[in-house]
Amino acid sequence: MGTKKIVLGLFDSEEKTVSAIRALKYSPWKVEDVFSPVPGNGLAEALGMGKSRVGYFTLAGGILGFLTGFFLAAWTAGQWNIIISGKPVISLIPFFIVGFELTILFGVGANVLGFLIFAGLPRLKLPDYYDPRCSGAFFGVAASCGEEDQERLTSFLKKRGADIRIMD
Amino acid sequence: MAEAPLTTTFEDIDRTVLNTLGPAPARYWAGVLLLAAGIAVGGLCWIYQIFVGIGVGGQNNPVAWGTYLINFVFWVGIAHSGTLISAILHLFRAGWRNPIARAAETMTVFAVCVAGLFPFVHLGRVWMVYYMLPVPNQRDLWPNFQSPLMFDVIAISAYLTVSVLFWYTGMLPDLATVRDHSTGRKQKIFTVLSLGWTGSQRQWFHHGRAYLFFASLATPLVISVHSVVSWDFALGVVPGWHTTIFAPYFVAGAIHSGLAMVITLMVPLRKLFRYERYITLDVLENIAKTIIFTGLIVAFAYGTEVFMAWYSGNPIEMETFRWRITGHYGLFFWIMVTCNTLVPLLFFFKRIRTSIPWLLGICLLVNIGMWFERFVIIVGSVAHDFIPHAWGHYAPTLVEYGVMLGSFCLFFFLFVLFVKHMPSLAMAELKHSATGGGHGD
Repeated sequence: MGTKKIVLGLFDSEEKTVSAIRALKYSPWKVEDVFSPVPGNGLAEALGMGKSRVGYFTLAGGILGFLTGFFLAAWTAGQWNIIISGKPVISLIPFFIVGFELTILFGVGANVLGFLIFAGLPRLKLPDYYDPRCSGAFFGVAASCGEEDQERLTSFLKKRGADIRIMD
Repeated sequence: MAEAPLTTTFEDIDRTVLNTLGPAPARYWAGVLLLAAGIAVGGLCWIYQIFVGIGVGGQNNPVAWGTYLINFVFWVGIAHSGTLISAILHLFRAGWRNPIARAAETMTVFAVCVAGLFPFVHLGRVWMVYYMLPVPNQRDLWPNFQSPLMFDVIAISAYLTVSVLFWYTGMLPDLATVRDHSTGRKQKIFTVLSLGWTGSQRQWFHHGRAYLFFASLATPLVISVHSVVSWDFALGVVPGWHTTIFAPYFVAGAIHSGLAMVITLMVPLRKLFRYERYITLDVLENIAKTIIFTGLIVAFAYGTEVFMAWYSGNPIEMETFRWRITGHYGLFFWIMVTCNTLVPLLFFFKRIRTSIPWLLGICLLVNIGMWFERFVIIVGSVAHDFIPHAWGHYAPTLVEYGVMLGSFCLFFFLFVLFVKHMPSLAMAELKHSATGGGHGD
């Protein structure tokens, strides 16, 4: 194989994109990336993506938040050990509220962090084979092949209704 | 509630939204300048108060909580419906919320910002505000986490952070669209803002999941925030405040006022930006129907409060409500009842809830009514509590009116700047609806 070439096929509908991805699976070429202006269930399915693991971050953040909130309140209350408004020094209900709010805050923070890590964001440089039309109305399928195969891959994508861009 | 049929293409959606981001006419900047002047008035009033002392406001014994707290509760309330629309209706998969979700979330973020300023304004010595933060110090003094005011500090800070993150994460795909359709400096700015979003399947895949968790966490948060705000009052042993109904009563009232504000903002927005095709009359009608619902809950709460006062047999509680209805601020009570519960019933008539002038008029009245509701609750109870010789009246001073004007100007200033410089329709979500993709799938 010579140098790797990436061919980007731009499709105007999700159905065409899905059928192109499916067809590529049974071809010698590899799907590098698929861009779309909208979330597509069909696309995720065709690419065989399982279940996102962002939720583990969210859960961990939430648990950490609750513990932080509750124990911060309990520990600081213990510093002076004074009964206020006739409530016990360690008051479960008020401290639960503090814990609850921080559960949400930390859960959301970790959720964003998890999303950024899994999605590979932020990055300032877009991939060379990204086409700005993909955030507008087009679905882009980037497939790679050897230099000698480029024409076959191009006509393969064209046959499925794509507009073509070729990148090194 | 049926989803409005959208026979639009992706290009239509992009074109409509991107057109709104073009250079602004002079009259837009004139409006912005006018709002900035209003903010300056508010700011100067506050500075004056910091130098002279909190006494320049009308708060004094027995009414120590005046318009600053009224406006605080008012703006927090406004914020709530934005989260209802973006998070709760997302979980219910109500597709009609898509066209208004972005603008409603924006409203939430800016309303919480404005609300968050009022506790600072209300502090006599604002430079002592860090006493509320749990920072280690020589004297081992810590905030009292049993106090509802501390719950409030935590809840509002959490709410602001969560709303901003929710709003921004949801906006990433649209920021990328703007980036890809612009050139020069604008493109550079949006390249940074969009964090390198490309719409690759890996990004969408995790985005969808994260957005679902966002919505699931924002839903209990929004309910807890206004519950906590209500406990600022309900945990005080003050007649008219010390009831268990306060949390649900406040949450329903918050959503009621916020929905009215959504219509107040959407009517001019759709007209000026030619969004009629997306923010259809059906969408506005659905909000109006929801306002009937929240109005009825609020009416039920008003009734329950009076019933509980009578049924308790407690003479002080009964006197508080007798005075609230017929006393010095009786007129405000009746403004509140009329605007919040009776006027919205007009939305039962289809002709009224599909007429733009009626929608706008009624929603403005609900906004006014909800402001007075906070006045009646906050001022009414402390002005007339246990001891007759401690009764007294309260009226806001010019400084307070100035700060209030500043807060309204600040809110509209931020909103007006946002809609002209950032995508004010959730483009990716609208495109998804246009393909027939169910919302939130």
